[in-house]
Amino acid sequence: MEFPKDYKYSKEHAWLKVLDNEMALVGITEFAQSELGEVVYMDLPAVGKQFDKDEGFGSVEAVKTTSDLFMPVSGQVVEVNASLKDNAPLINSASFTEGWMIKIKMLNPSEAEALLDASAYEGLVS
Amino acid sequence: MRIALLSDIHANLPALEACFKSIDEQKPDAVYCLGDLVGYNIWPNEVINEIRKRGIPTIAGNYDQGIGLMSDECGCAYKTDTEKDMGKISISYTNSLVKPDERRYLRTLPAHIRVEFQLNNDKLNLLLVHGSPRKINEYLFEDRDEKSLLRIMEQADADIMCFGHTHKPYHRILPAEVIDNTHYRHAINIGSVGKPKDGNPQGCYVMLTINADTSISNKDAIQVEFIRFEYDVEKAAKAVEDSPLPNEYADMLRKGY
Repeated sequence: MEFPKDYKYSKEHAWLKVLDNEMALVGITEFAQSELGEVVYMDLPAVGKQFDKDEGFGSVEAVKTTSDLFMPVSGQVVEVNASLKDNAPLINSASFTEGWMIKIKMLNPSEAEALLDASAYEGLVS
Repeated sequence: MRIALLSDIHANLPALEACFKSIDEQKPDAVYCLGDLVGYNIWPNEVINEIRKRGIPTIAGNYDQGIGLMSDECGCAYKTDTEKDMGKISISYTNSLVKPDERRYLRTLPAHIRVEFQLNNDKLNLLLVHGSPRKINEYLFEDRDEKSLLRIMEQADADIMCFGHTHKPYHRILPAEVIDNTHYRHAINIGSVGKPKDGNPQGCYVMLTINADTSISNKDAIQVEFIRFEYDVEKAAKAVEDSPLPNEYADMLRKGY
């Protein structure tokens, strides 16, 4: 199972990839998708919406179960991954890359520092 | 009209025979089977042939699909490594038992059955699926968010949706506002004949009654009866123990989990 070192992780199994000082991508981890099974539907927010850290920003429906999605940091949605609309299983096949969910403008970039690093998250799930 | 609906027999012949005895006493107008005829017990061919002998319209379950394709994957959501190892033994054993003609039958089963009623100049769609309309192995448990269930049913144009797969029966009435009217949809998990998982080892099937005045705007327009029947659980459990199947499957039958 993959735990990319240049990503940050939340205990709720979301990842954050900081692109620059303010912008970041958010998705769910390979571990999370393996627990869910094949993803069949994503409920993602509209561009412009703002969420606090740990606030629910959407949900994922998969064959085994459904799960709410929680923000790893506070942010405003600037882009939603349109590919997921017709190809939700990208979450399964490429959870850390093409399966990103939302691009956000972080409202408090220092929150990213408090997230888990790869080895701490690996310890959490293994 | 009274419709008997049965599902998830899982090669349990004593349970299926007791189920048919009960259904025969009920004298329904129609009988449908929602799949998963095989897996987890020793009588897959016998179960298939009992269903075929009666000409019961049947859809494919995920286990039927796996065996139909001679696959080692049944699409089951095993949680632990122990469950996965047990599952591998079951599908391998089932593949070794099922004969060519019975396998061909499984392989050609339809995915869904749609029954359209036109009562009182109104349309009423009954949709029969194994897991969900979008995935044969999707688990629609009773605690599924109402919004999600409604979206699934709206997309499939189903007013009454009957399904199995979780082996845990329930009936949920889902109201939706549609242009000043409340439209009631019914999500019905019909339980399992031969591998119940709701803590009750008795087999389960559903008798669905559609009345002359049944309408989507009447909340109580249909009757859904979950019929539980006794069967020789010990015979089915002993058969598991006397086979290469893991003994845990016998315990599950005795306790209903």
